[in-house]
Amino acid sequence: MTAAVQIDNLNHWFGSFQALKNISLEIDSGEYVTLLGPSGCGKTTLLSVLGGFLKPTEGNVHIGARDMTLLPPADRPTTTVFQDYALFPHMSLRDNVGFGLRMAGVDKLERHRRADEKLKMVGLVGDGSRRPHELSGGQRQRVALARALAVEPEVLLLDEPLGALDLKLRRTMQDELKVIQRQAGTTFVHVTHDQEEAMALADRIVVMNAGQIEDAGSPRQVYNQPATLFTANFMGEINQIPAQITNGQASTELGQLPATGIPNGEAILCIRPEALCDEGKGLDLMPAKVTDATFFGTYVRVLLISGDAGGLTLSAHLPPGDIPPIGDFIQLSVPTKALRFFPKYRT
Amino acid sequence: MRTIFSWLYLILAFGFIYLPVVVLVLYSFQESGLPVPPFDGPSLKWYDDVLRDSDVTDALTHSLLVAVGSSVVAVIFGFLAAYGLARYTFSGSPFIRLLLIAPLTVSYLIVGLGLLIVLTRVGLGLSLVTAGIGHVVINLPLAFAIIFASMNAKQENAERAARDLGATEMRVIFFVTVPMLMPAIAAAFFLSVTLSWDEFIISFLLTRFDITLPVEIWSMLRSGLSPRLNAIGSVVFLISVAVVLILEFTVLRKRHL
Repeated sequence: MTAAVQIDNLNHWFGSFQALKNISLEIDSGEYVTLLGPSGCGKTTLLSVLGGFLKPTEGNVHIGARDMTLLPPADRPTTTVFQDYALFPHMSLRDNVGFGLRMAGVDKLERHRRADEKLKMVGLVGDGSRRPHELSGGQRQRVALARALAVEPEVLLLDEPLGALDLKLRRTMQDELKVIQRQAGTTFVHVTHDQEEAMALADRIVVMNAGQIEDAGSPRQVYNQPATLFTANFMGEINQIPAQITNGQASTELGQLPATGIPNGEAILCIRPEALCDEGKGLDLMPAKVTDATFFGTYVRVLLISGDAGGLTLSAHLPPGDIPPIGDFIQLSVPTKALRFFPKYRT
Repeated sequence: MRTIFSWLYLILAFGFIYLPVVVLVLYSFQESGLPVPPFDGPSLKWYDDVLRDSDVTDALTHSLLVAVGSSVVAVIFGFLAAYGLARYTFSGSPFIRLLLIAPLTVSYLIVGLGLLIVLTRVGLGLSLVTAGIGHVVINLPLAFAIIFASMNAKQENAERAARDLGATEMRVIFFVTVPMLMPAIAAAFFLSVTLSWDEFIISFLLTRFDITLPVEIWSMLRSGLSPRLNAIGSVVFLISVAVVLILEFTVLRKRHL
């Protein structure tokens, strides 16, 4: 089952602290959305509102066509995969997964059949009679997922579900999550602070900061055309260069660059490290001095100082192979479309 | 040298604790009519005598009833209080917690006297029930403290998951909270049973015709020492030990895992 979610003008206060500020968001049915942001940005609060664990101070939540704002979690077509799994330690895996069906009054035989089916779906075949404490972290995560999916929710909420797993396992689980989401067709709303995880999973990334939505769009869009300086920064390493805009021209330490659609005044120019190259493609920049170069397998991360001493430090990801000697000056260039300008005093 | 000293210390310490019990049990097998040296047994005649005495077996049954009944009530109330105070914060909840635990510091004599005055005023006749009420009063704080101490975020998160999966509040408590807290609940129950089982003052003050075993022993003591008393004492001790062993092997052992 699957349903669309509509969030209208959500505001929430904890005492005098405003955790959610005017959040409006539409999620299509069957969509995989990640809520991405640093800790304290309100993403988990928003998920709690969707799950019914928190009544928002203002605003509405619709799932499908129904207003869910005031319904308790038990009455919502949502289930949650909790960060700490929150499995029932005194029950077998089969009873854990079948718990929601038991609450819905499904008889034992059918319950066990469906629980086994869901355990199989997450790759835990024939383990139904084991207890949660016998499992590894990754396996518990799978049980939590199976348990939440067993009641066939319309919307599945995932609260940093992979946060406790090691990196390699996390990448494997990401791939599996995506497969499971396609199979089930359920709308997934997934909270994370890991931008790589968000990009690996999401149809759409919603970037949050200080209780507000900063940006929303496909991973490619949010990464390459961030709407705000915060998003640009949060989505990965980026070079920030102070710029002075005068009538569509930016004067920076790297030279004069074209700047369209930005008012005159002080601004910040953002360039991803991988957009910088030393092959003379695009706009030429001022020569910069190499201060460090580190081999990362698929690229070489080169740190440079632009212009004279005391200039700006730049980071560039250059193709592996030609590691430039430290102290050399190299001529960097950048494609015009990789330049992103933001007004200085807006984050 | 050091090891010899520590062993000696250990033997002395346990001797100090257990010698009275050993003497009591030993002279319950005395042949003659006085539980004093020399030992001239072993004989089971006093056990036979005691178990034929309906006053004693009645008192034993009463004690068991009061112990189990009052412990069940104390644990239920203790659990409900702990659940409420752990899950909901409201103004004055630290004060309520304090009020719940405070009776632990009041002597049994005072509790018994207070109840005696209140119950006579209310017009409730003294019986096993009133003794049971007294035992609930002394065991409730303990049950509350034990259960409250073992409530933590783990159960709270599991409860949240259960609600998320459609469980009503009652089902959350029965399917999740109680099973997860079972070790603490059982520990509180068995401890209450042992405390109620050999409690004397409150039972003495709050019973009249049907009496519990400690009261029966006390009234027998007034007619002087006899190996019968040793036999009763041994039975009481055996039952207490059994309860403690059950506790150790069922509840506490699981906790070590």
